[in-house]
Amino acid sequence: MIDPMNMPQRPSRRQVLRGCGVALALPWMPSAISTSLRADDQATKSSDGSSVGKPPVRSAFIYFPNGVWGKSWTPDSSGTDYTLSPSLQPIADVKNDVLVLTGLDKKNSHGGDGHYAKTANFLTGMPVTKTTGKNISSGGISVDQLMAQHTSQYTPLPSLELGTEPVISGIDSNVGYTRLYGSHISWQSPTRPVAKEINPRLVYERLFGGRFSGKSQKSEGYQNLLDFVLDDAHRLRGRLGRDDQFKMDEYLDSVRAVEKRIEFASQPKPRDWQPNAQAAEIQPQRLGMPADFREHITIMMDLMVLAFQTDSTRVASMMFANDVSGRNFSFLEGVTASHHELSHHEGKDTKIEQYQKINRWHVEQFANMLKKLKSIPEGDGNLLDNCMILFGSSISDGNGHDPDNLPILLGGRGGKTIESGKHIASEGNVPLCNLYVSMLDRMGVSVEQFGDSERRLF
Amino acid sequence: MSKSISTAVRSVVLRSMLLLAVFILRQEMARGDELAEKMEKWKKTYVEKILPIMEARCVGCHRGDKIEGEFDLAKYADPQTAVEAGDAWERVAKRIRLNEMPPQGSPGLNDEQKGHFHRWVDSRPNRDLCNQLASEETQSWYQGTVMSRRLTQTEYRNAILDLTGRRLDPNEEPPSDGAGGEGFDTVGDALFTSTIHLESYLTSADRVVEAACSTFPNPLISTEVVEDIASARSIVSQFARRAWRRPVTLEELDRLMSLCEKSMEQGVELSRAIRQSLKGVLVSPHFLFVVEVEPEASGVQRLSPHQLATRLALLIWSSVPDEELLQLADSSSIYDEVVLRAQVRRMIADPRSRAIGENFGLQWLGLRGFAQVKPDESIFPEYQPELAADLREEAILYVSEIFRKDRPLTELISSNSVYINGRLASFYGLDLPQDAPWQSVAVSDGKRGGVITMASVLTSSSYPRRTSPVLRGRWILDELLGSPVPPPPPNVPALEESSHNDANQTMRQRLEIHRQKAECASCHDRMDPLGFGLENYDGIGRWRDSENGLAIDSAGKLPSGDQFSGPTELKSVLMNRRAEFQQHFIRKLLGFALGRSLNKFDACIVETCMKKLNENEMRSQILLEEIALSYPFQHRYRQPIGSKNETSE
Repeated sequence: MIDPMNMPQRPSRRQVLRGCGVALALPWMPSAISTSLRADDQATKSSDGSSVGKPPVRSAFIYFPNGVWGKSWTPDSSGTDYTLSPSLQPIADVKNDVLVLTGLDKKNSHGGDGHYAKTANFLTGMPVTKTTGKNISSGGISVDQLMAQHTSQYTPLPSLELGTEPVISGIDSNVGYTRLYGSHISWQSPTRPVAKEINPRLVYERLFGGRFSGKSQKSEGYQNLLDFVLDDAHRLRGRLGRDDQFKMDEYLDSVRAVEKRIEFASQPKPRDWQPNAQAAEIQPQRLGMPADFREHITIMMDLMVLAFQTDSTRVASMMFANDVSGRNFSFLEGVTASHHELSHHEGKDTKIEQYQKINRWHVEQFANMLKKLKSIPEGDGNLLDNCMILFGSSISDGNGHDPDNLPILLGGRGGKTIESGKHIASEGNVPLCNLYVSMLDRMGVSVEQFGDSERRLF
Repeated sequence: MSKSISTAVRSVVLRSMLLLAVFILRQEMARGDELAEKMEKWKKTYVEKILPIMEARCVGCHRGDKIEGEFDLAKYADPQTAVEAGDAWERVAKRIRLNEMPPQGSPGLNDEQKGHFHRWVDSRPNRDLCNQLASEETQSWYQGTVMSRRLTQTEYRNAILDLTGRRLDPNEEPPSDGAGGEGFDTVGDALFTSTIHLESYLTSADRVVEAACSTFPNPLISTEVVEDIASARSIVSQFARRAWRRPVTLEELDRLMSLCEKSMEQGVELSRAIRQSLKGVLVSPHFLFVVEVEPEASGVQRLSPHQLATRLALLIWSSVPDEELLQLADSSSIYDEVVLRAQVRRMIADPRSRAIGENFGLQWLGLRGFAQVKPDESIFPEYQPELAADLREEAILYVSEIFRKDRPLTELISSNSVYINGRLASFYGLDLPQDAPWQSVAVSDGKRGGVITMASVLTSSSYPRRTSPVLRGRWILDELLGSPVPPPPPNVPALEESSHNDANQTMRQRLEIHRQKAECASCHDRMDPLGFGLENYDGIGRWRDSENGLAIDSAGKLPSGDQFSGPTELKSVLMNRRAEFQQHFIRKLLGFALGRSLNKFDACIVETCMKKLNENEMRSQILLEEIALSYPFQHRYRQPIGSKNETSE
């Protein structure tokens, strides 16, 4: 087995991914790529031998903290020939691939205090339990995890959960919430947040490191260890009280998840389509923990693009930062304070102007990702055609902390089933979860209702 | 014949046991009656004296749609609810005593009203809760259950180091943890296990075992010399005993060895195949989880000696027990008070007790995420990663040395020495060679010494480009005095605090105007003055006498009437409130030790600790001894296996 970290600095075969602003490249990993190809060989044999199946739809949910200044965000008119608002200028090049969604609401966050109760349920839409620890709950499974349950059978990884910051430590003794609520948007179940990976190198290793894939002595060794601990955990579980059993179940589920990965690699499920596996290289020096926030965001988004391109997973979530992030944005011209501080702009022009610059920077990152996806051919179109990239925040105006009229963008056409290039201005407290039901449809997950949804948004 | 004799004997025994039980029950009931009587009397005083005062002075803000500070008095119109609120009244009494409530601008309480209130709170009937976890009648509302939980990121890192001598590569560490209970990551309810945890455990076990076995010339785990299965078994058994913190059963050892055998079947020689068993030890839930199983019985149980040793090691070292602790557990002598006290002292003297500062200390001080604090480079170009690491280290050493040197707890507020190295000395303007190692240095001018004047705390309670008296004041109230401030009510215009020099008014003047509103004053009168006292420290904690050419005004006046100017006087004001600080600190330490929120049963432990602290000239080590000896630390409420857990529903 080749350890990607010990690979020579200059991989022998490389193909730079065209269209990416930065050199997006990854060492040509025989294990990762051949796995996909093996799968496709089988698929080809099992079908008529010539046709390549329809590419699958992928979904990403990208969260940014502290809301937006609505007056610079919401376009003046709705429909197809709306004019981009100042904050949305960066999507000009991909305007026709984006839906601007305004007027969406998260009613189960109205009772919560401050931030935390609004972030944990960004993707669940359900009420967050007020607690400093006992009975932690986001009210429901998050939409990304529900999708992953259905798509995991087709890909090596069920989903990716990414971020840039460690979990916020401590509790907020004033409002009575544990701060970990502000660090998690992906929930495997109402009571179980999914840990996010913040180190690009580990994300890369998960995707392409081949540690848990391929038939090797190492993965066989892992398999034996997993069998052993699975047995251990089962024996132990029977001797525990009920709450403790839940904790052991988390462990058991994690063991099974890694087992599934190893099994997936050795017995790939046939896919009826061929991922564009000529996926480039990533420069190894970019894989440490980036000191620069902009670089961190760029590489995490590049990794998501790569994961989708290689069909390593079909679902991803990412938090630009934890809630209430006090990140200093003075790297932007004219910004002289931190994000959370500026989001409490008190209606002052000087602060709003800076707040809006930060909003706009976020949209720029989103637009960059869409452009990369669009530059990658797939099927009879491009990768973006087969994606749904949701981009948004769990509050509207940071000064008021309101959980309605949320800033939401949806990039991509969900397998060419979404008529994008529009501004859909909803009125009258339309649940954000209506959108999630529409997205679930396109992922092949048919549900009538999700979270607090009332109908489909489109 | 013999049968009937034995029956008779049995019935006598049974009868006497029954009598004993009835006797105990009667005693309990008598005690209960007495308590009930006292409670009735207390309730009556509430209705006659206290309720009218609140109706007249408090409900204006604390009832209806606009409830201030989350304190809703509507429910206390019912006297029964009021007397059951218990500790809430202590907090109210404290706010009144400090003149913080009713806030400036609202009609206050006269001396007679204050007298009634304080006498009433002080006369609250006491119950003896010291030696209880929960009983039949209390368990329905008792929330003291501690669950089996996985090791935290910190504990995992330390345990791997102690077991294998290998430090985890930061790139290999499992994901970070959140917190619950009293604000610590030791709370099982807030610890979750995801797939990426397991992937990290697997790869780390792989790498550290391989590395530990192949370190030349002296491998930390010597597997090269393994000649036969018997010696392999003994190595695995010893390793598992340390990692699992208890003797390993034969069956468990067989199963561990089967991993080695499987490897050998694939042609791997014994000396290498044994590594597979060692890896198995480190991925097993017996290592990764603090599992507290008891054989059969449910209800309140004393921890097994090995479980106690583990809790102790997690408390003081944030790691696994060492050989000495395990031996004391094997012989059960760890239960002995004298032995346990001696162990606590031995463990504090051990270098691993640095964990008290690194784990408990950083979480208490709110510095766990200090690496995320990024002052603006253009304003503070000196603030480089190296300095940030030094500041973090200073905080760790400051807290852990208080325990290691058995210093008075109050030195956390104010002391005449600091822990610095050469680089920090030049940052603080103290005299040490640039390359001097970490050491204790005497200070006399009051500018440093104590947690509130550490640059780490001052930096993390500032904005990236400037100081914030509000955030610093909030920090002192919240983290030091345990007197948290509620967030501003929604849609109230926030404080004008934007910058020191963009208006004709100073920030202090703007804050003063703001505080004229009663709804703002109630909190800002408490926070802002404390923060002003620290204005001599800039946004990264350096001393300054002036800002933009204007002399710093570091005077403050609290609602209690306490006045001060500058950090030395501020610290003496805080020293006068040291009882509040001590109580808060003990609650934090106990919450960290128990891994859960505290409840009314725990108040007694806090009181005992306060008493012991006072008897021991405030010396800090006694706290860890008392916690280790306390009933909740040594006992566990265990639900029947697989049963419904009513306590958490």
